[in-house]
Amino acid sequence: MIKLVVKDLHKRFGGLHVLKGVTFEVNGPELIGLIGPNGAGKTTLTNILDGAITPNSGTVYLNGQRIDQFQPYEVARAGLGRTFQVTRSFRRMSVLENLYVPALAMGRPDNNKAIHEKAMGVLEFLTMDHLRNEYAQALSGGQQKLLELGRLLMLDPDVVILDEPFAGVHPRLMEIIYAYIRRVNEAGKAIIIISHQMDSIFALSQRLLVLNYGDLIADGPPEEVKRDPAVIEAYLGVDDDEEETAESEVQ
Amino acid sequence: MRQQVPYLMGVGLLALFVAFPFVYSAGDYDYIMHIMITAFFYAILASSWSMLAGYAGQFSFGHIGFMGIGAYTTAMFSHYFYLTGAPTGLCTEYQFGATWLVIVNPIGVTSTTLTQDCLRQAIDVWGGTVEVTSMPVWLGITLGTIMGGVFGLMVGLLVLRLRAAYLALFTLGFAEILKATISAEIEITRGQAGMEMPALFENGVTIFGRFYSKTDKVPPYFVMFALLLVCLSILAWLSHSKFGLFVRALREDQDAAAALGVNTTRYKVLVFVITTMMAAAAGGVQGHYVGIVTPNSLFLLQMSLVVAMAVIGGVESFIAAAIGAIIIEFALEMLRNSFYIGGFEVDMTLWRLVIFGILLMLMLRFARNGLIAPIINYFARGHVAGETVAKRDAASEAGLVK
Repeated sequence: MIKLVVKDLHKRFGGLHVLKGVTFEVNGPELIGLIGPNGAGKTTLTNILDGAITPNSGTVYLNGQRIDQFQPYEVARAGLGRTFQVTRSFRRMSVLENLYVPALAMGRPDNNKAIHEKAMGVLEFLTMDHLRNEYAQALSGGQQKLLELGRLLMLDPDVVILDEPFAGVHPRLMEIIYAYIRRVNEAGKAIIIISHQMDSIFALSQRLLVLNYGDLIADGPPEEVKRDPAVIEAYLGVDDDEEETAESEVQ
Repeated sequence: MRQQVPYLMGVGLLALFVAFPFVYSAGDYDYIMHIMITAFFYAILASSWSMLAGYAGQFSFGHIGFMGIGAYTTAMFSHYFYLTGAPTGLCTEYQFGATWLVIVNPIGVTSTTLTQDCLRQAIDVWGGTVEVTSMPVWLGITLGTIMGGVFGLMVGLLVLRLRAAYLALFTLGFAEILKATISAEIEITRGQAGMEMPALFENGVTIFGRFYSKTDKVPPYFVMFALLLVCLSILAWLSHSKFGLFVRALREDQDAAAALGVNTTRYKVLVFVITTMMAAAAGGVQGHYVGIVTPNSLFLLQMSLVVAMAVIGGVESFIAAAIGAIIIEFALEMLRNSFYIGGFEVDMTLWRLVIFGILLMLMLRFARNGLIAPIINYFARGHVAGETVAKRDAASEAGLVK
């Protein structure tokens, strides 16, 4: 079973303490939302999990293997894949070539024909098969986001981190991304979604993690987290109606 | 059929270059052959640099330095290492059966005038009774190629964390330090006097029953052309393998490539080693062809020329870069002829560089992918847009695309 164990992660950039002892676990094919205000440390946490930066202290284990000192490519091969907040497709490479990269980099014994067929299957699912020979730079922003998701399908990691998958995406493409997330989750993979779009996060997540200036202030089911006073104060805020009611009650 | 056009043009060019020395017979034969050999030399540098900078995005300004390493390693090997039938008793020497490997002591630029090196002194004493054999030219070129790769490995490891302008500045510094060191180490490298090198075929060579002397242009023409073909074949194989896919991913986004499982360190170093070995091999062969190597061959201007050739051809296609190098080398030579406008002489030996510079600026402003690469792309990828639209329309009709 998939097991990601993050224990007491600390990260400092000079005098700035960005992560202050973050601890959580992912057990099995969970669908987790990671939320928090800007500057909360979400991207730093992602970059540590992905191997792009190393923590000052703390550990990360994936399926029993310690990965917090790994290079990003080793983390990917160990079974953790990610997308980026700003889409980072290989712009001057064709859509198919974008998909070949992770499949070949994993060094699995698949032959080229099998990789091509898998890539075509991914493109069909993402309704992008007609674009297979186009350079990625010719795609729209939303299509490039889909391409990034397609690359993760080719990488086939156990844990998937999606950084702002819904930002700037047309509602039609959003449906495809929803379907993607459900498909990956049903395939037995754990997914961590970072997003500021609360509707999507609450609709999809089975569990929410809330970061606030380096502290993990909440970890639980969305409905529970939604009512957590610390989360409301730090991030979600209070509805105007509720605020007025509260004020009149106080008066 | 349209996609086959670049291949057919390639075969045509290949046939033209093979036949050229035998069909061209004008009075300036040696001059044109010299330009062709030099053009092939620059084509190797430009195409290998295109793999490094255009495919892998490692904008190195040190490529000419690696060419120099190849040339100087080859030169020093032929200058300092000999095989003799008897010990000199003066040089550093190692016995292998009845043969001695003699390493001549470096004496700088005085070697041909006042002071003699240890081997020349021994030869005087022997009076022609002991056989002295120079090292094989091919062994020297091989060593030069390997040395280029070793330095490529070191520089590749040093620039792992450097990108864009920092990488360019670092490699530029490397090439300049190398040139300064060669100029300063007069005792070993003979400084600005340069090191003389034996011809590729010092005793001449017979090809298909015809003897060519050491000054004939045909043998070096085919040696350089063969080296170019070997380099282009290796580059073609690499670019169509996962190596090519990964280095292009590295160029596009190193972090994203690493996050997808690509060992970016390995491929960044590998592309440095492979391309610097090509530059070093070209340097070794060119040194033997010209007969001398000097620090001037490592001038920044030389590197700028290689960059300009690749850019004008098309830096993201090694074939386009090679063709660009051949065209530019010819154009630069053809533009040497000065002319008069209203009694004033236009000295083209100077103005040609101005024209060349303007052409380069126009390329960078209006045709970032050069002149040749778009032509190749037109034939190779011109059908893609039409296919995409046709597939989209077909899918729309079938209700597959929303």
